[in-house]
Amino acid sequence: MSYVKCSWLLCAAALLASGALAACGSSSAKVSNSAAGLQSAPDVTFKNLEGADVSLSSLKGKVVLVNFWATWCDPCRSEIPALIGLQDKFASKGFTMLGVSMDDDGVKTLDPFIHMTKFNVGGEQRIMDYPIVLGTDAITDKFGGLLGMPTSYLISRDGKIAKKYIGVVNEQQVIKDIESQL
Amino acid sequence: MKTPVRIVTAVTALAAICAIGSHRAARAQESAMPPSASSVVKTKVYTSLDPVPRGKEFQVAVVVDIQNGYHMNSHKPLDSYLIPTTLTPQLPAGITLADTVYPPGKNLKFPFSPDKPLNVYTERVTLRLRLSAGDSAVLGDASIPVTLRYQACNNSACLPPVKIPLTVEVKIAAAGTKSKTMHPEIFAASSAK
Repeated sequence: MSYVKCSWLLCAAALLASGALAACGSSSAKVSNSAAGLQSAPDVTFKNLEGADVSLSSLKGKVVLVNFWATWCDPCRSEIPALIGLQDKFASKGFTMLGVSMDDDGVKTLDPFIHMTKFNVGGEQRIMDYPIVLGTDAITDKFGGLLGMPTSYLISRDGKIAKKYIGVVNEQQVIKDIESQL
Repeated sequence: MKTPVRIVTAVTALAAICAIGSHRAARAQESAMPPSASSVVKTKVYTSLDPVPRGKEFQVAVVVDIQNGYHMNSHKPLDSYLIPTTLTPQLPAGITLADTVYPPGKNLKFPFSPDKPLNVYTERVTLRLRLSAGDSAVLGDASIPVTLRYQACNNSACLPPVKIPLTVEVKIAAAGTKSKTMHPEIFAASSAK
């Protein structure tokens, strides 16, 4: 085998190996990242409870945990105290929660829920005081579809999806993940 | 040139092992994805009489098999914000609904609700419609559309509420026509509950 042929073979094998190693790396905790890099969050615009537009791109520069939830979803309700805690812990460091309600009747259900329902956060009775917007099927489609709730996406400061969580978030894990983005 | 060949072989083998591992990990993640809301239950529809003579009561049973690991709220969940399971017929002229029979759910606790039980259906549940064919029921084959609505969850996530369209096929006969009792194993068992 000539030296040139060997060099080509070595290069090809190295490329194959590096690709596969990158793929191995992506298969750990970060569920939805591509091997090549983080996927951009979709360009979506929500309505807030007052009817004003809130675009996800307007939050660029902040780390955002987009949390799809509904009032009829018990697992979603169970993680709300932890999400209030995340907002308390990290809001001053450039983080925000963004709760996206998938309730069919929107504000009619949400308004009383948000203002009346209290959650035990470290022994204190708290309302859901982080930003809440209304979701639609068109919006979830842009995130690749929503099969279950809660589903959350951790968005980096530059608008990339750093991680996707299906089901109730593990509080310690999500704290680590947020800290790694701040 | 033996050494470069060995290096190529070793690097290629490493790549192959890693690629297989990556593929398996990706498949494991895919299997962890929740199924669609409509796919976590399988339904079968049964009628208690064939044919159904005018003037007679008959029943429809919808047997719902719920995927292992999933539950759905019963017809009477313990909290008003939860979406109950319902079975709603769209009755043709001459057929009336006497009652819809929902079995009681089971009170179970889940990891997301360790202190407060939820009233749910798991595994298999049979819902029944008690109907009667009146004198004005149209003779011959009739299709009765029925909608099953439920909202299912597993131990950590919920699927959106879903409406499953079902069809009940019955044959309406003249009053006094002899009819055969169908599926006594389903109707006798669910009546006893």
